[in-house]
Amino acid sequence: MNQCLYTKESGELQNFPHIVEFALQKINTIRFDSFKKDVSGFLRLYFVIDGRFSWVIGDKQYVLYPGDLVIVLPGQCIGGEKDFFDLGTLSWIHLQVGASGQNGKADIGKWYQFTENEYRTISRILFLNTDPVLSRFKEAGRVMQTIQAELRSQELGFTTRINQLLQELLILATRQLTQQNSSRRDFPQSFLKLEHALRDNLLHQWTVDEMAAMMALGATAFSEKVKSFTGFSPLNYLINIRISEAIRLLKQTERSVTDIALDVGFYSSQHFATTFKKFTGYTPSAFRKNNTDN
Amino acid sequence: MDCIITIEIGTGAIRVAGFDLQGNLLGSSKGTYPTFHIKPGFSEQDPEQIFITMLYILKNFLNERIYRSGYKVNRICFSSAMHSVLPIDKKGVPLGRAMVWSDSRAKKEAKDLSNLELGKLLYTATGTPIHPMSPLNKITWLKNNEYDRFAAASKFLSIKTYIIYQLTGEYLIDYSVASATGLLNIHTLKWETNALKHAGISESMLPDLVPIFYSPAKLKKEYCRSLGVPDDTRLLIGSSDGCMATLGAGVYGDGKATVTLEESGAVRVIGREVLQDEKQRLFNYLLTEGIYVSGGPTNNAGSVFEWYATQFGDFKKAFDLEDCINTLIYDAARVAPGSEGLIFLPYLQGERAPIWNPDARGLYFGLNIKHEQRHMVRATIEGIMYAIFSIGKTLKEHREINSLSANGSFASFPLWTQMMADIFDMPVHIKPGTGSDSVALGSYLLSATDMGIYTTLDQAAENVQLPDTFEPNRDNHKVYMKHFSIFERLAVKLRDEFAAIAALQEEDNH
Repeated sequence: MNQCLYTKESGELQNFPHIVEFALQKINTIRFDSFKKDVSGFLRLYFVIDGRFSWVIGDKQYVLYPGDLVIVLPGQCIGGEKDFFDLGTLSWIHLQVGASGQNGKADIGKWYQFTENEYRTISRILFLNTDPVLSRFKEAGRVMQTIQAELRSQELGFTTRINQLLQELLILATRQLTQQNSSRRDFPQSFLKLEHALRDNLLHQWTVDEMAAMMALGATAFSEKVKSFTGFSPLNYLINIRISEAIRLLKQTERSVTDIALDVGFYSSQHFATTFKKFTGYTPSAFRKNNTDN
Repeated sequence: MDCIITIEIGTGAIRVAGFDLQGNLLGSSKGTYPTFHIKPGFSEQDPEQIFITMLYILKNFLNERIYRSGYKVNRICFSSAMHSVLPIDKKGVPLGRAMVWSDSRAKKEAKDLSNLELGKLLYTATGTPIHPMSPLNKITWLKNNEYDRFAAASKFLSIKTYIIYQLTGEYLIDYSVASATGLLNIHTLKWETNALKHAGISESMLPDLVPIFYSPAKLKKEYCRSLGVPDDTRLLIGSSDGCMATLGAGVYGDGKATVTLEESGAVRVIGREVLQDEKQRLFNYLLTEGIYVSGGPTNNAGSVFEWYATQFGDFKKAFDLEDCINTLIYDAARVAPGSEGLIFLPYLQGERAPIWNPDARGLYFGLNIKHEQRHMVRATIEGIMYAIFSIGKTLKEHREINSLSANGSFASFPLWTQMMADIFDMPVHIKPGTGSDSVALGSYLLSATDMGIYTTLDQAAENVQLPDTFEPNRDNHKVYMKHFSIFERLAVKLRDEFAAIAALQEEDNH
């Protein structure tokens, strides 16, 4: 296996402003401080080819095995458990993402050809994810290997091909991630995970596509299953959660109706008031008055 | 034309149904809400989400199914799961989420109380066995573990109380749901002072006690308007889901019992006497004055079969549990009764009646090299049914039972119903295609009796039609009983090992 380490300074990446680093490294000796814990500014993907690695990602410790793909988000801490690389072979790529990496929106540059909707959903899922390790993911290794070969040979069309491979890698990783996180056997369990994600991110303007993708389902199948399981369409189910949370805030806090509307994800207090009235029969302020004045 | 609307506030879903005055089902609708398990033993629900789900489902149901066919709502009758606890503050605002019936965090409180002489006294007075799920122990848990929340509470409600409070502004609890709290003296129909003292609360911290027929509470006019119901619509407070299911199964009178098979299950009888079980294995809930629903619950019915299906079933299509369950039942049907000597203890979630052991766990016993997957499927169903039978057997020590009526979503599989008939050695009556609608039917019967369509509840119950009968097969019965005697011994014999393994599992969780 040919080792390589391409960085911004080396010529191989000059057509790729979004790729900060690409490497395939075989680690034969332990060098102290070779992998110090540090906060990463990039979206990093590591693929373990052989060996066994003990790393800290975020604030948790992980042991990695061959076939694992690790996804490190910008702003996340990453490094060896003892600040060095264990023995083994790894490939990795660091991608430049824009400033707004927080809050589930990543700007991964303009090299891609995702549709806007797919792009939104993929970055949403990558950035909401709490488990950085995708296991038994040999396909990722194959893509990394092809990227390396293309970078090395620089044959006709390699720029386009590498960008396509990067897109493929992100799509495969997102699919693997949603499949890994949602047991295809247990709808209620997977739906409960989605419910938690919705509640933790009420501010986000969720789309049905995004919610469906979180459960590794297509939008049509997802809508049907949610309707038959919950009695609500996916968007109405989301509104139901928003209104429930709004009721709690109306009763338990002194916050203004406008603030509450925005807190629970309505885009205006008008929209909130109309929806609230439709669901409960009361305007938000009448509801608050009626329920806290006794 | 007038109609009756029933609302069941169930474990994970609201079910709304409509009936005409003759008892014909006009339609039904459901909406689910999640149960949060933030720690082992904790099972909580968001009271506002339950309320909003109820309003939304009810409103849509009325608009789409009732008003369009020209019906007008005459009565709305509620039922709910038992054992829930929701503390609220002085302003009526919930202090956190509600603990639902299955919440078992109060394990230690239950154990401590059952070791006291007071435990025995309270079982006799309240009719509720001392177990972690009873509100008596849940409130005690709050006092012992979350004193701030306990001290801030001005009242402790049931979920149904909270929903009705939202709709009417009144704090009410019916005698039936109250009789499952472990706090009500079922003989005097007053809150039991010794229980209240043990939990550290006073009478004013509980809702007002009313009969299941109680209806003076008025729906707030905003809700009348948004739901489109007349101002004089009567809200019947109703009973618990279990009592309603028993009534709706037509089990009124001698010799009859009902078996409900949902996620959890129960065997119940209705009678004029409280069953005083010396070993405190049976509950006695009040249906209405002088009428008791007695029986025993199991934690492990449909949920255990769903667990098996989810783990070991064949999922060709994502999330198609129903397909998978049907395939498994087909496999099980190809195995002879007794599963060729394989026995399953279904206690995956601990067990209530009759062994009342929260530490009990599951077990496949007697596996040999010839057993295949299909034997394990059948053994799983048989194990669930043996657990049901062990409750029935306990009930038979007190009551004569010679026929059963079955209801609940898992009772409607013919294999299950026939197995029930064979194991109990008695005919099982069932309405084909019954899901959980015996709860709704029970609520209809209550409302119809309130309207004077029937003079009494027993007359109402007599009207329940269960056209299909499964007759027992004596040969199968003998085979099952040979296996059951081993099942029964294992369930008791393994007590120490259950405690040891449950302790290990608890360690893993911390």
